[in-house]
Amino acid sequence: MTDRSDEILRLDGIAVHFPVRGGLLHTLLRRARGVIRAVDGIDLTLRRGEVLALVGESGSGKTTTGRVVVKLTRQTAGRLTFDGNDISALWGTAALRAYRRRVQLIFQDPYETINPKQTIHDFVAEPLIVNHIGTPEEREAKVLAAIEAAGLRPATEFAFRFPHELSGGQRQRVVIAGALVMDPEVIVADEPVSMLDVSIRTELLRLMLDLRDERGLTYLFITHDLSLAWVIADRIAVMYLGRILEIGPAERVIRDPHNPYTAALVSVAPTTDPPSTGERATRTILVGETPDAAHIPAGCRFSPRCPYVFDRCRVEEPPLFDVGGGQSSACWLSEGGRSLPVLPRPEPAAGTATAGKPAVAPVPSAESA
Amino acid sequence: MSERIPPSQVPPAAREDLLADDLAPAADDLTTDGDAVTDGDTATAGPPHAVGRRQWPLPKLADPDAPLLLVDNLTTYFSLEKGTVHAVDGVSFRLDHGEALGIAGESGCGKTTTALSLVQLLPRNARIVDGSMKLMGIDLAQKTENQMRRYRWREISIVFQGAMNALNPVRRVVDQLAEPIEHRLDQSPKAARKRAGELLELVGIPKRRGRAYPHELSGGMRQRAMIAMALACDPAIVIGDEPTTALDVMVQAQILELLERLRRELGLSLILITHDLSVIAETCDRVMIMYAGRVAEEGTVAEVFRNPRHPYTQKLLSAFPNIRADRRTLEVIPGSPPDLREPPPGCRFAPRCTFAMEVCSREVPPETTFAGVRVACHLYPEGGDGMPVTTPPPNAIGATAPLVPPPSDAPPLESIDEVRGA
Amino acid sequence: MTAPTLTADRLRSERLRLRLRGWRDFARRFSRRREGIVGAAIIAFFAVLAVVPELIVGPLETATTASGTRLAAPDLTHVLGTDELGRDVLNLTVHGARISMVIGLLATLVTVSIGVFIGIVAGYIGGWIDTVLMRITDFFLVLPTFVLALILAPILREIIGTSSTIAGIRMTLIVIIIVIGVTSWASTARIVRSQTLSIKERAFVDRARVIGGGSGHIMTHHVLPNVVGLIVANTVLTFAGAILTETTLSFIGLGDPFQPSWGQLLDAARSSGAPGLGAWWYFMPPGVCIVLIVLAFTLVGGALDDVLNPRLRARR
Repeated sequence: MTDRSDEILRLDGIAVHFPVRGGLLHTLLRRARGVIRAVDGIDLTLRRGEVLALVGESGSGKTTTGRVVVKLTRQTAGRLTFDGNDISALWGTAALRAYRRRVQLIFQDPYETINPKQTIHDFVAEPLIVNHIGTPEEREAKVLAAIEAAGLRPATEFAFRFPHELSGGQRQRVVIAGALVMDPEVIVADEPVSMLDVSIRTELLRLMLDLRDERGLTYLFITHDLSLAWVIADRIAVMYLGRILEIGPAERVIRDPHNPYTAALVSVAPTTDPPSTGERATRTILVGETPDAAHIPAGCRFSPRCPYVFDRCRVEEPPLFDVGGGQSSACWLSEGGRSLPVLPRPEPAAGTATAGKPAVAPVPSAESA
Repeated sequence: MSERIPPSQVPPAAREDLLADDLAPAADDLTTDGDAVTDGDTATAGPPHAVGRRQWPLPKLADPDAPLLLVDNLTTYFSLEKGTVHAVDGVSFRLDHGEALGIAGESGCGKTTTALSLVQLLPRNARIVDGSMKLMGIDLAQKTENQMRRYRWREISIVFQGAMNALNPVRRVVDQLAEPIEHRLDQSPKAARKRAGELLELVGIPKRRGRAYPHELSGGMRQRAMIAMALACDPAIVIGDEPTTALDVMVQAQILELLERLRRELGLSLILITHDLSVIAETCDRVMIMYAGRVAEEGTVAEVFRNPRHPYTQKLLSAFPNIRADRRTLEVIPGSPPDLREPPPGCRFAPRCTFAMEVCSREVPPETTFAGVRVACHLYPEGGDGMPVTTPPPNAIGATAPLVPPPSDAPPLESIDEVRGA
Repeated sequence: MTAPTLTADRLRSERLRLRLRGWRDFARRFSRRREGIVGAAIIAFFAVLAVVPELIVGPLETATTASGTRLAAPDLTHVLGTDELGRDVLNLTVHGARISMVIGLLATLVTVSIGVFIGIVAGYIGGWIDTVLMRITDFFLVLPTFVLALILAPILREIIGTSSTIAGIRMTLIVIIIVIGVTSWASTARIVRSQTLSIKERAFVDRARVIGGGSGHIMTHHVLPNVVGLIVANTVLTFAGAILTETTLSFIGLGDPFQPSWGQLLDAARSSGAPGLGAWWYFMPPGVCIVLIVLAFTLVGGALDDVLNPRLRARR
């Protein structure tokens, strides 16, 4: 039973479809050649004060989902609710302003997000100016406060620099300051540390967590790196080809994944522990690459690559099944809350071409239907 | 190892995306004498015969008893209008036949410059000012550009960072691969194209996909093509500069598995350059950690990653989010790497080191070896016990750098592109 | 650590300091390029001639105040000889600088203003506005300049009249300015639009939208500053082109014989038969001046382009 009052953001059936422009013939006939279903029906709830990680590889639709939340991209279908209000149809600059003060975005590329011709001060002050917030004195105070809150102290040392005078980590702090200055409640962070060095990442993540504790922020943390999600998130949602395949508390999703895709991701998650043969053997390296969003497979969209696949998977797309503890998985194997069966790994005969590579065991037909 | 899926279970549309060696041979595809036949476009047997172990004669001056690669005190500087960048400052290491060495460090530590020095592809304002790089006993540092042609690509080749975006968009991939084969190995166009096709299959790109244009291939496929190009002249050493950056984690696993397979089947030696320690843990036998142009620690992956000695190595490892460990290990390293135009005296890591002692900012730490690990740190002096130090010594001053350093008037140099062009 | 308040004064002084530093950096980088210095020196020279011609050669000689004999070769009193009315050619050439430069300047202003506005609006807003504006632009792009000038000039003269002046500039010159402006803006618009299209995709534009910036704000604060570098180099070349166009228009008789620009002088030289008579001192000075000024602008344009649009991009 979800307590609606601590829900701050809600997505119901959000879909984003882009038409593929065809050639002359298609334009004449006014037909699209195909549809790119970047986001294909997402239900998501963001609770106040939590960090929800949206994890997926390229092509999963996670960035598009983030853009829908901050209303940079228009959803093709579905409903977006913020703090109890339906904002799906909220467009037009003036109407959006109130929303934008409360929901902000941190971009991925600290080298591109700041206009190279702008000073740090102007970058951080811009939201206040565009939205006519406060008197000039109040604005200056907010700008300085935001710059310092992002860890750049003293603010006056940094305020009048240009972006090219700062390092990548410092620039990303500036971007964070720019997102903080209007005192938002929700921050969507799209791969905020992926372009930074490993040792800088931790300080930025620490900063984001500290800000959450100090200001009661809520984060939608978009990343392709499951390990990062593990370190920072309260809940994790795993996306594949435009749908959420698994969602739940971080400990459960990582330690006890119910969805085969999640299990595969967890098994190949990079680690600095030198591999021992035993560990290597438990990795599930999937075949091929994620198909593009214009050719989504029929039935379960993960079925062509799934090591557990059986007939029903290719025909019917599974809904999200509740498997207990706040965790859900979109897999026919999870129906009824079941866990994933362990894949048997027969001992290979030495010297054959398939040495070291276990065959896929067919799933017993009793499991299907 | 990876699991394979029988082709019958794969819908035809998705089959295009699958890679040759991932499709297990269907039972009826095997002929009676056990040789797998090609199933349409997908070859499934071991490496094609033309691509095998060393085909070309050793260089005339090669010493077969010398180690494959011995780098001694390599020093490379960049000249900028405002000063000299000490990008690589006395780096030594060794690579043996069939070995995989990982060079790890963050931006600006000099790892890419080291790689470019090895193949003498440094930008115009860079120079190797000292040291030697002996490939089978032959010092490449002394070679002129003309002389390097014998070695570059044919004995030692490199896959550049972001190379998968360097493919010519208007030419088919197999043609692009055939071209250097034709010219460097003096083959006829037909023979070159045949070999190119075989190389592509070796890295897991079926013949049909090889005829595609670069934009029709995914990032992972293009990276495989670049690896094929580096293998074109059958070199002894392949250097990979950030081979898996910008790739999805699943594709990264596939590429690393490919590199491992190539190492086994071709007897290849690898130098992998990356900031991602997991790539090194996965693929390499030995690891060399660089910081600010110098070697901090070097040894076997097993020893260095399990018992890191140098404080920087310890911090680097703990900063890596480990999905198998407990959560929220967010240890922070204060400050940022030094400006290599004016490197600090003594140990270059000292300002950021929580274990720093007074001697650290005065004297450059000498390299000492314990348990097969080479480490440059005053915590491990010659004659000591060499056990890893995990708590600050009693006379430690600690880190003096602030968490976020103030901006300096000289803009920070973060990539080799900035250093190259100024 | 306490945060000192950022007063309005401090803000202003910081901005000023930054702007000065920007100019100083620019000057330093520009001064490294020798061809730019040469070009700038030439332009400065002609600018001085244009601003205070009287100080150098005295008032403009007319038919009634001609000081020498007709078509006399250069000698000590008339260093560049005389024209067919006996006027000192040096005097005419120096005064001609003003007309040519002024026309060039104003025409360039017209061209750049229209071109930049249309280019940015079409590029950023896109959609049907872009289509309509670009079709109009294409129309003007394809029109041959001189055909249009030939048609427009007499029409405008009819409408505006030839005897009145605006700010000391005769109507005929206004006509020329309008003609040049109208025929040249299209290529600037095209260049600006394609630059706008690529700027539009950059992350900082997205960010400006996310914080609530409207199209107007983004176009002025984000697109325009990043297009300026391109425009400045282009503008300088437009200036040279305007001078050339004016020269040609005058040469074919659409200029104003009472305010001699260099083109006018060339036209007068031709119609008085100077080439046939070997009176090289009549047509060579204005010709050389035109070549020099166009060369100067090209050099400066090239140097500016190098300085303002560096090929380096800082990347991790």
